[in-house]
Amino acid sequence: MRTASGTKAPARPAVPSCHGGGGGDVVRDGKPVVALVGSPNVGKSSLFNAVTGARRSVGNWAGTSVEVGTGSWRAAELDAVVVDLPGAYGLDPLSPDEELTRDLLVRPDPAELPDVVVVVVSAADLARTLYLAVQVLEQPLRVVLAVTMADVAARRGIEVDAVALGAALGDVPVVPVDPRRGRIAGLAEAVGGALAGPAARWPLPAGSGDGDAGPDTETPDADLGKDADPGDDADLAAADLEEDVDLAAADRRFTLVAAATAAATRRTGSRRTDWSDRVDRVVTSPVVGPLVFLLVMWAVFHLTTRVAAPVQGALDTLVSGPVSGGVRALLGTVGLGRTWVEGLLVDGVIAGVGMLLTFVPVMAVMFALLAVLEDSGYLARAAVVTDRLMRAVGLPGRAFLPLVVGFGCNVPGVSATRVLPNARQRLLTVLLVPFTSCSARLTVYVLVASSFFGRHAGDVIFGMYVLSIVLVVLAGLLLRSTLLRALGTEDLVLDLPRYQLPMPRLLLAVTWMRLSAFLRTAGGVIVATVVVVWALSAVQLGGDRSGDRVQNSAYGALAATAAPVFAPAGFGDWHATGALVVGFVAKEAVVSSWAQTYATDQPGDVARPGRLGESLRADFARSSGGHVTPAVLAFLVFLLGYTPCAATLAAQRREIGTRWTLVGLGTQLTLAWTLAVCVFQIGRLLT
Amino acid sequence: MTPPAEPAAAGPLRAVLAELRSGTRTLDEVSRRTGLPRDVVGAAVEQLVRLGRVTSSTLGSGCPEDGCGTCSSGTSCAVRSSRAPSGRRPVLVALSVRRPAR
Repeated sequence: MRTASGTKAPARPAVPSCHGGGGGDVVRDGKPVVALVGSPNVGKSSLFNAVTGARRSVGNWAGTSVEVGTGSWRAAELDAVVVDLPGAYGLDPLSPDEELTRDLLVRPDPAELPDVVVVVVSAADLARTLYLAVQVLEQPLRVVLAVTMADVAARRGIEVDAVALGAALGDVPVVPVDPRRGRIAGLAEAVGGALAGPAARWPLPAGSGDGDAGPDTETPDADLGKDADPGDDADLAAADLEEDVDLAAADRRFTLVAAATAAATRRTGSRRTDWSDRVDRVVTSPVVGPLVFLLVMWAVFHLTTRVAAPVQGALDTLVSGPVSGGVRALLGTVGLGRTWVEGLLVDGVIAGVGMLLTFVPVMAVMFALLAVLEDSGYLARAAVVTDRLMRAVGLPGRAFLPLVVGFGCNVPGVSATRVLPNARQRLLTVLLVPFTSCSARLTVYVLVASSFFGRHAGDVIFGMYVLSIVLVVLAGLLLRSTLLRALGTEDLVLDLPRYQLPMPRLLLAVTWMRLSAFLRTAGGVIVATVVVVWALSAVQLGGDRSGDRVQNSAYGALAATAAPVFAPAGFGDWHATGALVVGFVAKEAVVSSWAQTYATDQPGDVARPGRLGESLRADFARSSGGHVTPAVLAFLVFLLGYTPCAATLAAQRREIGTRWTLVGLGTQLTLAWTLAVCVFQIGRLLT
Repeated sequence: MTPPAEPAAAGPLRAVLAELRSGTRTLDEVSRRTGLPRDVVGAAVEQLVRLGRVTSSTLGSGCPEDGCGTCSSGTSCAVRSSRAPSGRRPVLVALSVRRPAR
């Protein structure tokens, strides 16, 4: 058997003939066989239950693992065997279910075909479900159309005229039914009428071969994500021709689908979703759209800081006071007070990890708000706005997919670049992902912004996210104009879902999922980092033992070595540079290492809430020569721009190799340092 | 049954495909530019995806479906797909026209 495109069809299962006196799965007992076919979710099984009285036998079709239901349809006009074939969108199979449906309807011997095929289509989704009907009509079959879901269509302001639909498809019997309410009047009569008539066969669309509608069962986009592999020109030309023939045949069918839909569908009122279209015109418009996006994100960060701040303060008090004090007392009672164990547990783990855990409310509120934006459908509109910006600067359209993922976490953002088919586009996007501001950086933004900017903390955090987008664009332009000049273009279209009310259950599930990932990081990587920092802090390098213990340690020496590099940016203090060095492991470690080193430095002060903010303010004032605000902003800019974490570097190396990962690392550090110095120096002149 | 009239020129599938290639950004825009109803455009795109002419990828704000490497969130994201409450829809469906392998 040949397929529509002329290729050899896969071997078919040994299916029993409907006319073979009950060979295997269908026992006809001399009765006609009626097959029910339809796309998934059109109410086909409801119709099967309605015509058989829900008396069905279910089993795998012979030679396959596909389940098929059979039953008896007894009505005044009809006594038949009904077969409920698997749901299919068309007769070009992409799954075993569709393959079986195709095999039972497209057969070389007409005697093996069902006596009548009832194609179930949905009035609420006529265009989507009619394609299968048109393909079935091309076969030498007696066909009746059953139109379901008129109630759903009516709620959408759509009315389907069965008579007009039948006429548009070439005088096919069409019966409106509502099987869920048992309203199937007229269907048995129509099937009986069809049984009395001859099987019809339309002329086949050009190029569809001998009537076998299936090209093959291979998934068409199986080679997604791979670069085009040059092969034999003749083979490629044949494949292209084959694809063109398939497209032409499908296009002809779809012309009929569109014409029949237009002829049979009537709008009975304004669609309930009109407001959604009106909103979309505003939020996706080239001018207002970006402003709305910025306003929404500003509101998100303000709500995050305002709502979470009191709870975070309470948690800080809890960790700094009762928890630290309680553990210290407990260790004292077992004889471990004032030992290295107390130092590690209280000044290390509790100070570091405990401080990080105070950010749980911040993260929870942030994740919940983003989940609301996502589930309501707004995030998709934001993607349209950012995609437009990316295209404007010549970046590949599809690159925004991994970049959006990168705002959650850079590591999966890098992995997501695999959706890009072009190697150079993939390389560029992998290099850009680290500039997206991941949620781990948020902990540092919140700590720093709330310590230095008070009620304007939300504005500062919002500014960091805007700057992140600017950095992606700037770095993209820089790379495109230097290392990656020839990228090519790519078409990309976004299918926007309708707005919907977010479901609280879903919001909670998504928020918890992301929060638990944050907690796992705090419990794994950060604990390990805290232990390493503690160990380095414990190694004293001689000299003045009466001074700052951590500053005189290996950790302090390492941090102090890097500090002068950041003096032009206003934060050449070893506390800040030490935290940034540790931040290479994970950005959450910036917060934990600050909390840890300050707690070790000032152990007597550990029980006082807010002490960390005060210590930071004092050190930034000292290192910046009094220009605190520019220095803090420069620090935040550097934090945003430099390497996100070791895991991201590992993911980059896996995707683009060591050389390009090092190029990316150098670009990030250079860009971050340059911008930080610019921010501080310009800010210093202005303040 | 009599077959309906033959279509004259390029039909909806090719019209939609041409729009996708021309840089139109949303399916609503495709609908406006081709004059085809939005539901017909949606159905046409689904058909083009089935034909392998267009690739479709869904996007959420979380992790991609093909794995997260060493990401600490990887486990929870992998769990997400199997435990995700029903009714959750993709945030976004991105469609790309597949280039012939010439």
